[in-house]
Amino acid sequence: MTTDPRFRVPLVILTALLVQVTLLSRLRLFGVVPNLMLLVAVAGGITGGPVRGAVIGFASGLAIDIFLETPLGLSALVFSIVGYTVGAVETGILRAAWWIPVLTAFGACAAGEALFAVAAQVVGRPDLLSARLAIIVVIVGITSAMLALPVVRVVGWSLLKNTPRRTTVFS
Amino acid sequence: MAVYRRSRRHRFVLLLLVLTSVTVITLDFRDGGDGALESIRQGVRDVFAPVESAADTVFSPVGDFFGGLTRYGEVKSENAKLRRELDQARNENLRQAGAERDLQSLMDLQNLEFAGNIPSVAARVISNAPSNFQMTVSIDRGSDQGVEKGMPVVAGAGLVGRIVDVSKSTATIMLITDQGSNVGIRLQSSGDVGVARGGGASQQMPVDLIDAGTKIEEGAAVVTSGLQQSVFPPEVPVGRVVKATVSQGALQQEVTIEPVVDLRRLEFVRVLKWKPQP
Repeated sequence: MTTDPRFRVPLVILTALLVQVTLLSRLRLFGVVPNLMLLVAVAGGITGGPVRGAVIGFASGLAIDIFLETPLGLSALVFSIVGYTVGAVETGILRAAWWIPVLTAFGACAAGEALFAVAAQVVGRPDLLSARLAIIVVIVGITSAMLALPVVRVVGWSLLKNTPRRTTVFS
Repeated sequence: MAVYRRSRRHRFVLLLLVLTSVTVITLDFRDGGDGALESIRQGVRDVFAPVESAADTVFSPVGDFFGGLTRYGEVKSENAKLRRELDQARNENLRQAGAERDLQSLMDLQNLEFAGNIPSVAARVISNAPSNFQMTVSIDRGSDQGVEKGMPVVAGAGLVGRIVDVSKSTATIMLITDQGSNVGIRLQSSGDVGVARGGGASQQMPVDLIDAGTKIEEGAAVVTSGLQQSVFPPEVPVGRVVKATVSQGALQQEVTIEPVVDLRRLEFVRVLKWKPQP
């Protein structure tokens, strides 16, 4: 297993994509699919700050865009903004209680899903803004909050920098 | 000072990513589904197709389990309804064994009526849409098997949707319930034509342009109109009327239909090699 974040981050995004496309697309709660790719972007912002959040959001958004019928780059645009915003807000939090990432995941993923519908409206998909959006936003927020802790942990691990192992020499 | 410089760099990175995204969106629009970006998209989907197919076999029971949990009330009432129907069917089976055989033959014949003369490709549904904003499914047949964009897709009972994206080994079907879908329909009883719009996850489709004076009964059959340049062939069953009301002074009725095909539990479909007539 490589210890370089340049390999670990794409590995985590690819794994998340596989889980989203194969498993989560079937686990519809009241017809709503959990959005793991958006949660990965949020987790990137929580653990890596605004720049890494934006970059991870861009990559995860572009990855899921391949499987959607909405214009390529739309999720990348929304997820990078969400990742950046979460990173910028989280930077100001000094004490990290366990529930902060959970609450952040709820709010950011719900907002991200709503932002996606608004962005889609701008690029000519007005049908995405419907009364059902409220249900989608709430359920995506709840499922993201439920998955937040393990996802934040995995994304945090992928962003860990290489540190040379210390060797103690006994004389 | 250092903090200010760092935050400027942060904003610069975000701006760069936003501009890249906007460029990609613009290029995708300009390509119109035939350019280099679309080829990359299709290539990646082809790579994922075997994984999706394998995952379908593994995860289908998991999905059904969760689906059952969240739709417990619906499943329970459906179960009770099915039990009643089964009891009825057992009784009728004894009396009407011969009539049932005839009925089955007629149903087969009816199936041949809407799809029989058109060449078709049978396909298996391998995945659902990974998004909350589209009602699509992927199938395990693509351009290598002659599937093309725009082709209609049917199941045993009737219309499912149309092909909106094709790679070599997979294709994406936009279901008739997708909010971006419009189907030209005809009421079989009166002959009135209208347009059925996708209602999203509600699985019901509002119908426009039905005259206020037309008498419509609940359960009335609705088929594709097949008018000139229609994207679907004529006489394909679409749904049944579940509601028809007329508001005072309105010029058209508020009609809602329910698809004849259960689009939440699709397993096998047929892609009709049919192109709109010019």
